[in-house]
Amino acid sequence: MKLRTFLGAAAVLAFTGASAPAADKDAADIAVEAAKKYAGTTISIVWEAGLQSLDPLNYSGPKWEKLTGIKVKVVEVPTDQMFTKIMQDFKSGAGAYDALNVIPSWMPDLARAGALEPLDKYVDKFGYRDELQDIAAAYRDNQMQYDGKIYGFPDDGDVMLLYYRKDIFDDPKVKDDFKAKFGYELAPPKDWKQFDEIGQFITDKMAPKVYGAGFFRTAPYPQYMFQERFRMEGGKFFNADTMKAAVNSDIGLKVFKQMLAENKFMPPGVEQWNFVDNLAAFLQGTTAMTISWPPYGRWAAGYGSGEEALKWVPKSQVAGKVGYALTPLGRPELGVGFDLSVSATSKNKEAAYLFIQWLNSKKTSLERVQLPYTLRDPFRLSHYASEKYRGLWPDAPAYLDTIKTSGEKGLLDLSLLQQDKYDEAMTKAISSLWAGEDPKAILDRMAQQFDAITDKVGVDNQKAVYKVWAAKPGAYPQ
Amino acid sequence: MTLSASLNGAEQRRPSRLGRMLEDRLPYLIVAPAILILLLVGLFPLIYSLIVSFQRITMTENDTSFVGLLNYAELFRDTRLWASLGHTAIITAIALPLELLIGFLMAQLFIDRMPGRQLFVALLVLPTVISPIVAGATWRLMFDVRFGPVGEILSFIAGEPVRILWTVNPAYVYPGIIICEVWQWSPFMFLLLLAALSNVDQSQLEAAEIDGASYLRVLRAIVLPAIAPVVAVACLIRGLDLVRIFDIVWALTEGGPGSMTETVSLYTYVQGFSQFETSYTAAISFLVIALLTLITTLVLKRMELAR
Amino acid sequence: MRVAKLLARKARILALRYLGAGVVTLMFLFPVYWLFMISFKTPDEIYHVPPLWIPGQIQFSNYYVLFKDGDVLAILNSLIVAGVSSGIAIVLGTLCAYSLARFGTGGENLAMWIISQRMIPPIAVVFPIFLIYVYFGLVDGYFGLILLYTAFNLPYVIWMMRGYIVDVPLELEESALVDGLNRWEVIWRVVFPMVRPGLMATSVFTFVFAWNDFLFALVLTRTEVITFPVMLTHYFGGQSNFWAKIAAMSVLGTLPIYVAVSVMQRYLVRGISLGAVKG
Repeated sequence: MKLRTFLGAAAVLAFTGASAPAADKDAADIAVEAAKKYAGTTISIVWEAGLQSLDPLNYSGPKWEKLTGIKVKVVEVPTDQMFTKIMQDFKSGAGAYDALNVIPSWMPDLARAGALEPLDKYVDKFGYRDELQDIAAAYRDNQMQYDGKIYGFPDDGDVMLLYYRKDIFDDPKVKDDFKAKFGYELAPPKDWKQFDEIGQFITDKMAPKVYGAGFFRTAPYPQYMFQERFRMEGGKFFNADTMKAAVNSDIGLKVFKQMLAENKFMPPGVEQWNFVDNLAAFLQGTTAMTISWPPYGRWAAGYGSGEEALKWVPKSQVAGKVGYALTPLGRPELGVGFDLSVSATSKNKEAAYLFIQWLNSKKTSLERVQLPYTLRDPFRLSHYASEKYRGLWPDAPAYLDTIKTSGEKGLLDLSLLQQDKYDEAMTKAISSLWAGEDPKAILDRMAQQFDAITDKVGVDNQKAVYKVWAAKPGAYPQ
Repeated sequence: MTLSASLNGAEQRRPSRLGRMLEDRLPYLIVAPAILILLLVGLFPLIYSLIVSFQRITMTENDTSFVGLLNYAELFRDTRLWASLGHTAIITAIALPLELLIGFLMAQLFIDRMPGRQLFVALLVLPTVISPIVAGATWRLMFDVRFGPVGEILSFIAGEPVRILWTVNPAYVYPGIIICEVWQWSPFMFLLLLAALSNVDQSQLEAAEIDGASYLRVLRAIVLPAIAPVVAVACLIRGLDLVRIFDIVWALTEGGPGSMTETVSLYTYVQGFSQFETSYTAAISFLVIALLTLITTLVLKRMELAR
Repeated sequence: MRVAKLLARKARILALRYLGAGVVTLMFLFPVYWLFMISFKTPDEIYHVPPLWIPGQIQFSNYYVLFKDGDVLAILNSLIVAGVSSGIAIVLGTLCAYSLARFGTGGENLAMWIISQRMIPPIAVVFPIFLIYVYFGLVDGYFGLILLYTAFNLPYVIWMMRGYIVDVPLELEESALVDGLNRWEVIWRVVFPMVRPGLMATSVFTFVFAWNDFLFALVLTRTEVITFPVMLTHYFGGQSNFWAKIAAMSVLGTLPIYVAVSVMQRYLVRGISLGAVKG
């Protein structure tokens, strides 16, 4: 190449490199660089207390401080208090919190109240648009914005997976007996009929050592299962024109009856089970199938079992024996999730924003989701593809692939104004179901409650929000 | 007050003018600090709450316009609220007498001289001292069908497997809550009654024993009247606390199944903390205050009459 | 002969009483025992079917972790806050109670107003109090919580002590006054000793109420003054349940109260009324 051309080309490159939009650089590094000017300050972040907080307390907080000189104060709040504390801080004008963890279904309410800072201008200023694209579509398109504005970065790949005992399903004797009885191959259930058959079969064969399945049945999570199954059977939450609740349709009744009938082949007392009870049962090998979020998969594999922080997890007896699949009917509920946001009353908005950009960036988030004690599940395409992650335990590749597919096929949580009120109605209805009340009566009451809530919010307001939600690809199965 | 009048004449020491002024004002002086603190922390929030109850402040709206009795009117239509009041009444009506009775029996057991009694008393206070959150959570674990000892013990006694779902089965949710509550607070009554019983006039008791009066007679004529003031206050305090019961119910059932064990404080909590119905919650609170005031006034009137 | 029979009868009754005491104590202490055992169990033992009555081994690692992670500071915070507020409440409250009992200050109205404070559902006032505290900068600080708990407990102290003071025979005070003591001295040197059992019982529970409060501590603190109950709730996650920490922390959390109670209750029960003894 001629020297002049070369120099010219080099100059052009150097020039564009120097003034290139920050997008060419790593978003994490950009955040760190920009944050250095705030060295010596302290920012606070609200985080779920307990296991979740270990991330900022032991890893990301100290690391950020080392990189930028900004101290991170972690305000640990029990899960069921998070919304309250954020709201109270906002309404009192105290402005004590800078960054926040927010559950996506709260976003409409918080954003409407004005408690969250819109982030678009920061995203552009610090060149984060590109890396945002790397976030799996299920979360990126549904948990990031409200009313067209970005209010939070999805930071947790929550989605329901079906976990099953590979060793039982692959056992030749079991397989033969099953085929003989039902005429199809024993495999992770494709629908709920198969689920019942497999579950009952295993219980008949192996109880009380092993039962066909177990679920968490107690507040606050079973309502996500209902949401999924109701929609997959064709149910619609509301009549889109009148906004009257349609949960007490025949479909709702069918799902309720199904759920009730399943308890028969589950371990006795399953109606009391919470997240950890269910986990314990599965890890101890008592249940052959269960549905839950990604942490089960890591803990079942024994990942992180030596960690101090995970000492409360019963020892997994099923490491290496766990298979991962989509939930029956193939469209799992996303369920909960977490976003990183900035408080509208913060006195350090930019510093807070830079912190969450750094946390959420490709580079940092990859490290964070691999922390043995983390509750943050992989949520970026780069996570699913990461060689490092895929090497963490033998079945990790299958695990990541299943999470990825589940996310792609995932169903969104219902997310309307005052969503927690609707959630509460569903939760209470399900607990009544276990108590033996007539399912139709329960559903009718739930529909009534839904309607009362809708009236209070304002039918037209809610109709508009519902329209937007229902139009999303993940809202109702097409 | 006749007391002051009678005492004034009996004073022989003549204190200084300041001393005398302080002495005259003494009754007011010594109530002043307490009242001041109560006013500071007790009155303003109440007034604020009262004002808010006449407004329309919710999670997303800060409508501070005066809407009159709108929230209060809604109270009467709110079946869930009245149900919760009913649930609270059930728990209070059953737990309070039980606690009183058990506490009294325990106090009777320990009141006479008994070497090593101190050890027992100190141990028996433990349930009350444990955080109610932990008490509820512990009992929840104990009631658990798989991991809890209650099922095992019952099965042992019954001779066959007993599988009661204490936190889910409608027939057992109330017993479960009440067991936990009575377990935790009977020692409270016990301690109070022990202190009260220890002040019963010994000479009277001895005289009665010499006269050969029966145990029950002694109880009715001497002991009960003597401890009545303390019993009354203990019941009042414990009763008011029972009406506000929260942690135990939350830990055991979260108000479930459905809303079956939802007490009024749980419902208020959900309204105020999860759903930020600030104005409505204020209205509910004042309803509760009104009801409690009514009941307390009635009870106190009866106490006055009895004296 | 009769003396022997009488003694034998007394001995039998005493034996029965010990038996009864033992059974009652066992029944009341069993859940505490269960909790205590959990603090030594491993997660597999906690979730063991059928339930394990004795853990495999006594291991203090759960307690060690609490110290290492600094969670134990919550107990220190609670000690400070509950201790100081109880002390103030007891002193101010008993004085106030004396005034109500002996002088009828403010009459029934004042007494009613005081007890009505305990009728207020905390929910109703917690947010307004939060607002005041934000305004005065009292959030997440010792002073704010101490002030709150003192106010919180005053009605209880006043009413309980009024009951105990009413029980003290007037003649004692009258004779003391005749002897030349002024009212202050009467209160401190005559009445206080007489109501000591009641005072001790009341102090214990005043302390316990302040110690166990959750709602106000939750709302009025953030990171600096985390108290014991709030720390506990950190262990109840939606997706985690640190049972070992909960149990160990609870045990640690009840130790200070237990010590206080043991000390107090030596004064708690004087079998013989002191009435005749005062000179």
